[in-house]
Amino acid sequence: MQTFNRSIHPGWLIIAPLLVLVVTLYLGPIMNILWLSFTDPEPGLGNYAKLGESDALLRIVWTTVRICIVTTLFSVGLGYSIAYAMVHCDQRQKNYMLTLLLVSFWISILVRTFSWLMLLGRKGLVNGTLENIGLIAEPIAFMRNELGVLIGMIHYMIPYAVLPLLVSMQSIDTRIMDASRNLGASGSQSFLRIYLPLTLPGLVASTLLVFILSLGFYVTPAVLGGGKVLMVAEYISVQLLVTLKWGTAAMLAALMLFGVLAMLWLMSKFMKLSTVFGGTTR
Amino acid sequence: MAEPLEIGSLQIRNVSKIFGTFKAVSDVSLNVQKGEFLTLLGPSGSGKTTLLMMLAGFLDVSEGDIALDGASIAGVPAEKRNFGMVFQGYALFPHMNVRDNIGYALSVRNRAVAEIEACVDEMLDLVQLQQFADRKPGQLSGGQQQRVALARALCFAPPVLLLDEPLGALDKKLRVEVQEQLKVIHRRIGTTFIYVTHDQEEALSMSDRIVIMRDGAIEQVGTPKELYERPKNKFTASFLGKSNFIHHNDKVYALRPEKIDLIVGVDHQDARMNGTVSSITYFGSMQRVIVDTKEGQKIEIDIDVWRNANEVKLGDAVDLLWADEAAVELQMG
Amino acid sequence: MHDKQFMKETLQDSAKAYQEGRLDRRTFLALCGASGIALTAVMAGDAEAAADHVVMWNWGGQSEECHSSAIGDAFTANTGKGLKFDTSGPLEGKIKEMVDSGNVTADVADGDLFNAVSLGPTGHLEPIDYSVVSRDKTLPGYALEFGVSIILYGYAFVYDTKAYGDNPPQNWADFFDTAKFPGMRSLYKWANGSLEAALMADGVAGDALYPLDMDRALTKIQSIKEDSLYWGSGSEAHSMVVNGEVSMGMIWQNRGRNIENDTDGRYKLVNNQAMAMPGAYIVPKGNPAGSSVMQFIATAQEVPAQLALLDCLGMTPSNPEAFGQIPEDQQDYAITSAKNIDKIVYNDPEWWGKNGGDAVNAFLDAIS
Repeated sequence: MQTFNRSIHPGWLIIAPLLVLVVTLYLGPIMNILWLSFTDPEPGLGNYAKLGESDALLRIVWTTVRICIVTTLFSVGLGYSIAYAMVHCDQRQKNYMLTLLLVSFWISILVRTFSWLMLLGRKGLVNGTLENIGLIAEPIAFMRNELGVLIGMIHYMIPYAVLPLLVSMQSIDTRIMDASRNLGASGSQSFLRIYLPLTLPGLVASTLLVFILSLGFYVTPAVLGGGKVLMVAEYISVQLLVTLKWGTAAMLAALMLFGVLAMLWLMSKFMKLSTVFGGTTR
Repeated sequence: MAEPLEIGSLQIRNVSKIFGTFKAVSDVSLNVQKGEFLTLLGPSGSGKTTLLMMLAGFLDVSEGDIALDGASIAGVPAEKRNFGMVFQGYALFPHMNVRDNIGYALSVRNRAVAEIEACVDEMLDLVQLQQFADRKPGQLSGGQQQRVALARALCFAPPVLLLDEPLGALDKKLRVEVQEQLKVIHRRIGTTFIYVTHDQEEALSMSDRIVIMRDGAIEQVGTPKELYERPKNKFTASFLGKSNFIHHNDKVYALRPEKIDLIVGVDHQDARMNGTVSSITYFGSMQRVIVDTKEGQKIEIDIDVWRNANEVKLGDAVDLLWADEAAVELQMG
Repeated sequence: MHDKQFMKETLQDSAKAYQEGRLDRRTFLALCGASGIALTAVMAGDAEAAADHVVMWNWGGQSEECHSSAIGDAFTANTGKGLKFDTSGPLEGKIKEMVDSGNVTADVADGDLFNAVSLGPTGHLEPIDYSVVSRDKTLPGYALEFGVSIILYGYAFVYDTKAYGDNPPQNWADFFDTAKFPGMRSLYKWANGSLEAALMADGVAGDALYPLDMDRALTKIQSIKEDSLYWGSGSEAHSMVVNGEVSMGMIWQNRGRNIENDTDGRYKLVNNQAMAMPGAYIVPKGNPAGSSVMQFIATAQEVPAQLALLDCLGMTPSNPEAFGQIPEDQQDYAITSAKNIDKIVYNDPEWWGKNGGDAVNAFLDAIS
């Protein structure tokens, strides 16, 4: 008891029950998924072996990763410009832009998805107008394909990309940029050598957030992909609800989980993750 | 670096800065000598920082012209102006170490690595930060950061160094120390320093010349001594040091507290005023006595403690004396 | 926390009062609205309590009202027991999860007959009690050990009369012929019906479809991949057609009338080679109401209930006794009407129950 008290702060005893509860509630389901992936339908590595045997699974994973990468690139790229504009315009415009950004958070993903169909669909507003003024003879296939999925996902993800960048950019002392100019740096030198490195934690946070959220996309690919763009989240749902291949679903879920963890681990090799999640560089 | 610079004189001609309907700087003209330590002194809102920002090129001049050694630079952007600047709060690059901060100006000019290294070493030597070269700004004290900012601004040998309240963030004791270092460095490198502050003691102790500004215009220009001894008006007299104002025959005179003699009790024949001691404050090197005169005025007097320590008491009736030349006649307004 | 508990109890009390007729429906709904608790949540929470009612697990929407009026009223009149709903949609995975978790809250699921084949042998379903339920009041082969078909729905297609007005498509072969009938198509994403349509288009006879030749079917599907979209829900199928995204669309046949109406007759339903899908009632293992649910299923087999479901939901009777009584205005849209019954083919729940999972995955792989 003596040694126990010395090595562990008594405060831990007070929060221990809660800690156990939280750990159980978090880890329990994850362990359950791992367990399923090794035991359903029969014990062994069968579910994981399917990855090697089935082109279909690999293709779905690759489609998902490809779409998520493109979505992340565009969302973060556009988000960076938007955040930059917001930080550097006057307060009234900034409030206006922030309101628009937050309003888009509140619109359900289903509404947004179908709005895109009305706007860019085969008989949508854009195609209709272009056809009417004679610019195109056949409607442009914006929707019901991978392009449609990307448009929908990027649109949905931009606000998520903007917010971490906004926080990061707002914390930069404007005099630092003045100092860079004063020392003779051109605009692009100031950006590349000062602004970009200083917003890097925000950029990484934004990239991680968007990429990880994109991995879980379900409704948008299902609707805007016209059924032909199959991503992991939808496939998992089908395996759980329709085909009852829970082992496959659990294997894919575990794969995504460890994929994300591996990504975080890799990044931690290059930078302190605490700076990304709001810590300081010191 | 150490050899005297050939250039560095500034000509400010009828410069104004207008924001909307507000005139932040109005019709300022000033010649700055090469190698001079010139201080812009004034309360906040007096236009001193705006003027400095125009010199740096961060703000355009609305009217007038600024010239370096006779050639106009009003249209030259900040990054081409080659003026060093020490910012309020230092504005160091937090992600670079001290060495990279100092070498930044040469690095963006694509100078050879050896040249940059040599300059950085010289600067580290100048500001005595050799052992901190590899630290990040966040790992340095305020005074050390201030010196990095100075070294960074000087590394490309600018003809003019602009300093925007560079000591504002330091505590009093450290500030005095850094003031000394700044003066030493100024003497060594011979660069023109233009120094903005609202701290009159700092201005007095460091400057070759002080420009006192108020509401966007220049009130008075002169050496510290000139300004202290011969303030032009009430504003200068009260902003730079302390002053009593004596009204006599429709004229106003400024009278420094330390130039008044105080004699207890007796009705001295040379007494200019008399009254009762209402307050005594001890400052160590001197004590400040406030006398309520019969005319209803409060006069402050600084007296040497070691000489007069125990002679004055609260409530004493006292005579006040001063020499004719101690009272400086002021312009009205 | 206390407030919520109190509110829920109030609602449960009033739910009972409403059932017993002491509280009118409007007052009860107002009470529910005021407390922000959905009617079904209260009902479901109450559902476990006693076996004075059965809980039907369906897809919500209109079906709640229709199942009440078509079956529930008669069931209550016959047995004195009530009918409640869980509207979360009884997908196979959800049934399996509910039974595996040991917390079974539904008595009868409005599912597919192939669910009975896949979930029955694994112990997730109660067997149908054919001393109460009739084997004769459904089509032959559609009364299985763990489920009985109550209604039929069907896969048919609609086409754009503006595009193909003079020479309309007649069958699945035309549907898959993009040379003769250019334009986009839409098919069902979860394979069912789409595979059969592809095989018929490729020349397989309607009564020789099973076992499905997967390779042949998928090759045919892939032949129109560039010209096809895939829907996952009835509303999506509907919107793809009425928004003009496709010129021909496979649809659930009961939606044919709505589509014809919504497009002012521009799109027209083709029933030739329509596939009859047996919708079935299945009972999760260990259901709370026990054997009384069999009476409910038997009630649903009766002709009045069968015709009421057709009228209310557009689901076609599976009880042959009712076929002759399908009203005139439903003839075109009811798959077993005299007008259609000779042109249709029948789904094999045995094959789908055993091979459905793999078929869906292979289909998804082919279209994506």
